[in-house]
Amino acid sequence: MKNMRLIQMNMTRLIAATAVLAIAGCSELTVPDYNNPSLEDLQTNPTPTKIAQSAQGLLVGSRLQQGTQNGYVSLLGIVGRESYNFDPADPRFIVEMLIGPLDGGSPAFGGNLFGAPYANIRNANILLAALDVVAGMSAAQKSATKGYARTIQALDYLYVINTRDTYGSPLEVSIAPTGPPAAIASKADIFAHIAKLLDDGLVELQAGGTAFPFELSPGFAAASTPEDFAKFNRAVKARVEAYRGNYAASLTAVNASFIDTSAPLTLGVYHSYSTGSGDLSNLLFDPTGRAIVAHPSIRADAERKPDGTLDARALRKTAIIPSRTVQGVSSDLVFSIYESNTAPVPIIRNEELILLRAEARFFTGNVAGALSDINFIRTTSGGLAARGAFANAADFTTELLKQRRYSLMFEGGHRWIDARRFNRLDTLPKALPTHNVHSRFPFTEAECLARVPAPAQGCG
Amino acid sequence: MAQSRTVTGTVLDAQSGEPLDNARVTVRGTTLGVTTTSSGTFTLVNVPAGPITVSVRRIGYQPSALNVAADASALRATLTRDLLHLSDVVVTGQATVVDRRNLANAVATVSASEISRVSAQSVEHAIQGKVAGASITSNSGAPGGGVQMRLRGTTSINGASEPLYVVDGVVMSNVAIPSNQNAVTRSTGGSNPDLTQDGQVNRIADLNPNDIENVEILKGASASAIYGSRASNGVIIITTRKGVPGGRRINAIQRVGFSAISNTLGSRTFTSADEAAGVFGPAARDVFQPGVVYDQEKELAGRRPMSSESVLDMSGGDANTRYFVSGLWKNDGGIIANTGFEKQSVRANVDQDLGSRLNLSLQTSVTRSLAQRGLTNNDNSSVSFWMALPFTPSFVDLRRKADGTFPVNPFVASNPLQTAALMKNDETVWRSTASSRLMYRMLEGESHSLRFTGTAGADYFTQDNSLLFPPELQFEPIDDGEPGTALLSNSNNLNLNGGVNAVYTLTPGNGPFRATTSFGVGGSTRDLRISRIISRNLVGGLSIVGAGTNVQVVEQRQRVVDLGVFAQEELLMLDERLLLTGGINADRSSANSDTDKYYTYPKASASFRFAQPFRYADEVKVRAAVGLSGNQPLFGQKFTPLTATQNINGLPGLVVQGTVGSTDLRPEKQREIEGGLDMSFAGGRSSLELTGFRKDISELLLERTLAPSSGFLTEIFNGGKLRTTGLEASLNVVPIQSARTEWVFRTTFFSSRSKIVELTVPSFTVGGFGTSLGSFEIEEGGSPTQIVGNDTLPDGSRVVRKIGDANPDFVMSFVNDIRFGPFRAYGLLEWQNGGHVVNLTKFLYDLGSNTADYATPITVDGTATTVGARRLAIWPRQTATYVEDASFAKLREVTLSYDVPQRLVSRFGRGLQTMLISLSGRNLLTFTDYTGLDPEVSNFGNQPIARNIDVAPFPPSRSFWFSVALGF
Repeated sequence: MKNMRLIQMNMTRLIAATAVLAIAGCSELTVPDYNNPSLEDLQTNPTPTKIAQSAQGLLVGSRLQQGTQNGYVSLLGIVGRESYNFDPADPRFIVEMLIGPLDGGSPAFGGNLFGAPYANIRNANILLAALDVVAGMSAAQKSATKGYARTIQALDYLYVINTRDTYGSPLEVSIAPTGPPAAIASKADIFAHIAKLLDDGLVELQAGGTAFPFELSPGFAAASTPEDFAKFNRAVKARVEAYRGNYAASLTAVNASFIDTSAPLTLGVYHSYSTGSGDLSNLLFDPTGRAIVAHPSIRADAERKPDGTLDARALRKTAIIPSRTVQGVSSDLVFSIYESNTAPVPIIRNEELILLRAEARFFTGNVAGALSDINFIRTTSGGLAARGAFANAADFTTELLKQRRYSLMFEGGHRWIDARRFNRLDTLPKALPTHNVHSRFPFTEAECLARVPAPAQGCG
Repeated sequence: MAQSRTVTGTVLDAQSGEPLDNARVTVRGTTLGVTTTSSGTFTLVNVPAGPITVSVRRIGYQPSALNVAADASALRATLTRDLLHLSDVVVTGQATVVDRRNLANAVATVSASEISRVSAQSVEHAIQGKVAGASITSNSGAPGGGVQMRLRGTTSINGASEPLYVVDGVVMSNVAIPSNQNAVTRSTGGSNPDLTQDGQVNRIADLNPNDIENVEILKGASASAIYGSRASNGVIIITTRKGVPGGRRINAIQRVGFSAISNTLGSRTFTSADEAAGVFGPAARDVFQPGVVYDQEKELAGRRPMSSESVLDMSGGDANTRYFVSGLWKNDGGIIANTGFEKQSVRANVDQDLGSRLNLSLQTSVTRSLAQRGLTNNDNSSVSFWMALPFTPSFVDLRRKADGTFPVNPFVASNPLQTAALMKNDETVWRSTASSRLMYRMLEGESHSLRFTGTAGADYFTQDNSLLFPPELQFEPIDDGEPGTALLSNSNNLNLNGGVNAVYTLTPGNGPFRATTSFGVGGSTRDLRISRIISRNLVGGLSIVGAGTNVQVVEQRQRVVDLGVFAQEELLMLDERLLLTGGINADRSSANSDTDKYYTYPKASASFRFAQPFRYADEVKVRAAVGLSGNQPLFGQKFTPLTATQNINGLPGLVVQGTVGSTDLRPEKQREIEGGLDMSFAGGRSSLELTGFRKDISELLLERTLAPSSGFLTEIFNGGKLRTTGLEASLNVVPIQSARTEWVFRTTFFSSRSKIVELTVPSFTVGGFGTSLGSFEIEEGGSPTQIVGNDTLPDGSRVVRKIGDANPDFVMSFVNDIRFGPFRAYGLLEWQNGGHVVNLTKFLYDLGSNTADYATPITVDGTATTVGARRLAIWPRQTATYVEDASFAKLREVTLSYDVPQRLVSRFGRGLQTMLISLSGRNLLTFTDYTGLDPEVSNFGNQPIARNIDVAPFPPSRSFWFSVALGF
């Protein structure tokens, strides 16, 4: 019995000891995210510093898929027959991009160039919402930041619709990400939305004072104040209006942009790169053609200058390497457009603006003005002789597309987009009879899987 | 008061007649007990008068009971060796053990003798094929490890997939940290940005297999519930060796051997310059010579350098102090230049009794390892060995020239022979672990005992990955315009854990039952910190990261804190025939959204033994167990983060990262039911264990793919249900057991099927490189390991559908262990039937028109083509073209040994007592129809789902060893 009591006593002690330890166990276990700031913090507790970093983040997000080997410039270059990618590790650069069909289930190919611009559209929406909450910023600073955000957002929508084209694409990006996905808007609606973003942004930039409350990358040197940024906003607007055939609006916009025939053709706004830690380098730089090579037709199709040499642009922008053949496709050219892994990638520049003005002038009836602009580019950029009057609209279009092809080569899929908007995709060369020219990219597989039923077009 | 008496005796091995030390001799119904001396003798004093029953037990032997008459005072007990491990004790709680014969779960035990038969680089290799229900597969043949152990099938989709490793009571980290070779291979720049393509090693590889006393494997929630929210993938309980009282013993083992590549792919041979130029372009004409063929794989991986392993251990002790110390020096040569594996380790385990009630034990070890793993797995820059070879013809001579330089490979960006010779990929790990346990026997009465145990342990390692790609390499200026790349990653991990528990045992006087009650509390922290430096454009031939002009720095940290409590009750009754167990664990963790909430994991089990229910059967046990366990969210899964580590020209930018965390993220919940039948026949000479199980895993950590148009890519949340059912069987037979001859035969069988029973979100894919190259799709009603790809319907339309499944139909193993006098032959064969692998290495060779069979002509629909061209032509319509059956049989282990007789041994030197000479080998033979290097492959390392993707892996090798083991 004594023993039994001892045990009972000990059991009591044991239970007490356990209880003490259990209570001691009620300590705080919260561990923060050491590696990332929280989205909620930016949304609920924005400060001018966080706003500035969020604004600068839009440049990071917008650049994300420009300078990569399977990015916007590279993939659109392939479908538009400006470039090839001979990376032996992935045959889909040829099998999918040149033969097809484009596969939404290939995240680096047919299903590519979709999530990144939408993420940046979301970034801009988060910034715009935070601007409504933040304390310590002036009305002008907020207005400038909003105008800037809407302009970048318009650019990202443009990256999306340029690839999905007549499939349309979702418009609403401010909804809860885990809810049902937004409806797919038509191409026309997306363009209308882009135009509205740019116009709203312009008004905000004009009320934005003299300086941005954040810094811009070196590529935005020509648009580093709200006033100059508004000119960049108009430059994008001029492109958008030309793409949807509103040439009067395009002409108005281009005239309000930074177009300047006395300035260098390279004057413009760029995505910047560096080798700094945490920064991206420009992977379009591939001097030996390990993966990215130029389409051999660039030199073959080039006009000759009065002295018999090739169009200066063809010579300036490509270089010869020993011929390579991959899956029946050959090339002996690489690009020399991007001279180093820190070379910037153009967003829009003076040379395109002059060509946009030529296009807008021609289709608004100013044929002489159009010829003058075309000849300015032929002589200034290509070293070619000036040409005579256009026989007809088709002749103008042929000339315009040729000048755009050589002036804007491998800068963002211009050749493919231009051929498509003038219904001339069938003029793009096919190296082999089995090849095809794709007209648009499907939705990425995840976008299709998230929608039940799947959209009528663009999936599968 | 009856008079007491003294009983003396001897305990002997029943077969050999040799005396047995350390046998425990107890008098039933009393607390009397002694241990035999080195000459096998014992003396029991104060034995009550009258007839008694004496129990004799010793590790490795079947227990025995002797009736001793009232007038007897001298005993002779013989014990039969327990070749089938029927009488082990097995861990069932965090603090308690039960006899295997009562066990209600199919807990597998692997003993030291089974582990150390053939030299193993990593402990998982040493238990491969030895446990029913454990599928243990290598990710590649790279030296140093990288092995996945999966217990009882698929248990998670996005959560942790590794079992919990508990070594001497301390949770040992098994994280796998990528080397960062992707900075050069650019594997993350392609279709799948997963960092795990670096061929990383899961760090349980640091354990020295020679130090292990035994390994117990709790395969699922019904056995492991008491480990709570980290136990869903099973728990591996490893106990290291301890000293036993008696004289000092020294064991020394010296092994020497070598490894050799066991499979190559071969490549196409070209008969004419035209044929060569047709594939490799005009440049091939300059190189092609008729009849000259190089076996590029043999040139690269044909080395057979010597390997060696030295093991020394010493143990002993007296009644109060017991010790075990050991050392290991292992140096395995690699089949490719600059590859190999080294490991050095020392261990000291000490047990100290402090008086009669207090016992302190300490286990410490320090290990250093160096794994040099070459450059393999997927890449996007044509530098990984088997990524360059598919595009390298057999007629080009890539060998080092007389002047010491290497020829330029004109057909692809790198010369693999040069890459192997000049690069460096060194993974150096220093690891130290220490665990301590203080046990206090507060009460030790006839019918009650109470003990308290406190444990504390630390496990710390640093992993240094130092990679160098000097500017002289062919690809170095080409890949990024910046000659030379140096990579340095430094990772450190600290696991701390501790706890106290109390165990109370009640055995009422007349012994109707024994009740064991245990309580405990415990906590642990896990801190992991990884910093990485990538340095390009190396100046002045230096290999330090400071010498580059383009320097990138990344750091990541993780910390998880857990706290838990448990209670368990075991009731053994009806003459030790019925065992009832109930237990519960409750724990909370910083990894959950609600860090204050306790999640509970109960379990219950019952077993009943029928003694000699029918002729030939010694015993039949029926058992059933049910339990719940959890699988914690991974660190960071609960957050919705922004990315702050990106900048543009030095301007910091905040952007969304793509992941949406849940505000209610909690552990996955696994409920496992298992039931089985254990039988032993023929006087312990044969046993059969049959187990069926069903795991229902709910509240899965799902990574749902969001519509990317939302700006986010994935949401992590709890949902869905996964069910895994399976069958395990193991049969052990001792057809012969005599003094001279002993033959043990074992076979195991395992088969499991998994199904997504419920998925609250649309189907989504995990792993792979997109459906066109085979991907895993999680789909309601489907197998979680199903491989989907493009397929074409009869009407010509293209669909994405199931084209294979990574899960094998069944796995079997066969062991034969035959001893004849001093000679012994042992072999272990593992057979995996079914399962599929996506063979993208073959796809690459086909793309290079360079597969060995590429040019074999065939006629399809009247058109002449070649085998390879045909495969490529079908592939866009049928991804299954490159999905292959992964069935294989591998001769995992073989040993032939000779136990030098005593009379000869003594001639070698005084003090030498035993000498064992053996020849052994690992993975000597592989039988498979798989056309890749090895059907055991995973480009993405250890994965819950997405294994079985073959992209340019490190080739498999076989190893041969000659060993001499000496005992002093």
